[in-house]
Amino acid sequence: MLPAWIPGTFAAVMLAVAGLSAARLVLAGRSRRPSGTDRDVDIAHVLMAIAMAGMLLVSLRTLPAGAWAVIFGGMTAWFGRRVYRESRGRPARVLAGGHHVPHLVHSAAMLYMFAATASPAAGARFAMVGTAGSGQQMLRVPVVALVFALVLAGYAVLDLDRLSGTAGRGGVRARQALAPGSAVMAGDAAAAASARGGQADVAWPRVLPAGAGGAAPASALLARGPVLARDRVLARGSRAEYVGGGEAGSRSLLAPRLAAGCRIAMGVTMAFMLIMMI
Amino acid sequence: MADIAVGNARGAWQDHASADARDTWRPIDARRALQLALAAVWLLDGVLQYQSVMFTRAFGRMLAASAAGNPAVIATPITWDAHLIEQHGVALNTIFATVQLLLGIGIAWRPAARIALGASIAWALAVWWLGEGLGGVLTASPSPVSGAPGAVIIYALLAVVLWPADRSAAAPFTAARAVGTRIAKLLWCTLWASLAYFSLLAGNRTAQGLHDLIASTGSAEPGWVAALDGRAAALLSHQGLTASIVLAAALAVIAIGVFLPPPLARATIVLAIVVSAAIWVIGQAFGGILTGSGTDPDSGLPLLLLALAYWPAVARPGPRVRPAATTAGRAGERSPA
Repeated sequence: MLPAWIPGTFAAVMLAVAGLSAARLVLAGRSRRPSGTDRDVDIAHVLMAIAMAGMLLVSLRTLPAGAWAVIFGGMTAWFGRRVYRESRGRPARVLAGGHHVPHLVHSAAMLYMFAATASPAAGARFAMVGTAGSGQQMLRVPVVALVFALVLAGYAVLDLDRLSGTAGRGGVRARQALAPGSAVMAGDAAAAASARGGQADVAWPRVLPAGAGGAAPASALLARGPVLARDRVLARGSRAEYVGGGEAGSRSLLAPRLAAGCRIAMGVTMAFMLIMMI
Repeated sequence: MADIAVGNARGAWQDHASADARDTWRPIDARRALQLALAAVWLLDGVLQYQSVMFTRAFGRMLAASAAGNPAVIATPITWDAHLIEQHGVALNTIFATVQLLLGIGIAWRPAARIALGASIAWALAVWWLGEGLGGVLTASPSPVSGAPGAVIIYALLAVVLWPADRSAAAPFTAARAVGTRIAKLLWCTLWASLAYFSLLAGNRTAQGLHDLIASTGSAEPGWVAALDGRAAALLSHQGLTASIVLAAALAVIAIGVFLPPPLARATIVLAIVVSAAIWVIGQAFGGILTGSGTDPDSGLPLLLLALAYWPAVARPGPRVRPAATTAGRAGERSPA
């Protein structure tokens, strides 16, 4: 019998993810985040985390399984559409590493978990094995659960690699090196950082004027010399953008790294649940 | 693209993750990709270890069963360990599951990759002995179809050949980068030759040996897996000797494949992938994961990953050299790699 504290711990992590994602939504709204942003991803994280917490612990159950199946069906269609739009003219392997594919996989896995539960009483008492007051849940076509678990584990390690790799080294260093008031294509920033041996942030005490006009190549800017890391530029993958000074807490909450961290936590939890329900 | 646009001094959050997605994909280095695959397998192992049955006495009994047939010096610690786990199942299994989860996370987290790979080797060796009874290699009839020489020892081998170091500047395949071409080839040859040897042992050569092995696998599996195993078992009924010889021949060809020229080596790696996949699906039924009591994906999946690490590298032409006006080079000539 699975000790109750294990699903309890995963449920607590999911509640934290839901809280953080909700806070991101609120803060992004306050900072007049422009349209075309990833609000849909944050909403998806909130809904998935609440649904998973409810699956893990009966006491956290909110909606019946049928309602969640409808919600995640819609979410799967939404991210399917976004992946379709993202896929135009791109090879499959590029698409697999794209931004929306993991969210599509997460949504589809949630839909599968709610729609393919073999127990007829799923809607009434839907919670993980071993939890007090719950019944054993089994999934139909368990090989699909195994495939989902493998893919989710794959995306979790890929996210960890990305967090600790490009963005974690050159990207972070480049972002600390860049100036206030500037928006930089991070491909250039990272390239410049990498050209300096990935040490772009090390002891470059030089302040660039925040209100300076004109444009200059990022590599040339970085090559010019030290930059004071007073304000920060978010360099994530190919694009870096200035984030205003102050409100450090808000910036941390809105950082893409946090969203990636939430996605990793959800991926691992989802894989755990799928395996438990085989 | 290379311009720095000076923005509003007030600044604002702009999440361009969608735009990022369109522009950020970069091919991952083949070795890193395989390290991540290994990390995903460890992560999956960790999750599997959290299954309900692992917290019961059945897990200890499962471990104790691996002592059977082993020499006393190997079997005694296994029995002791199995009894300990039976007594303190919840605490110890939680530790086991968490360690494996952390190994997966550590390999994926670049700054911790070396430590995690090193720890995974130590952990795999301990599990190979205390959890798998050395994969049964010292018992009467270990079979590659049933998982000999053990899944975790192949994890350890993967960690060794995927170690983040470059000994060989022009490695002919990914596995040679860390340990050098000669050692990598010897490791490959030893592993696959031992599998060929195991498949020819007396217990596997009997008329019904392979049939019984495969027939027993599908009993608790989902319908289609059981049906697949049933058909394979029926096909092998009373054909044990022939099947063992054919399997051993295929495994021997794979073993020497890495010493052949690249086109032939590539063909033997394809054969290795096919054999590994067949063993994983038919012989091991995905390591019994679909029954809810599998502790790992068994040896088929790591063998498959290992085969990918030995895929001969494609010799890419170097960048074009622009001929200087004064040089004798011809336009379009490629530089040496």
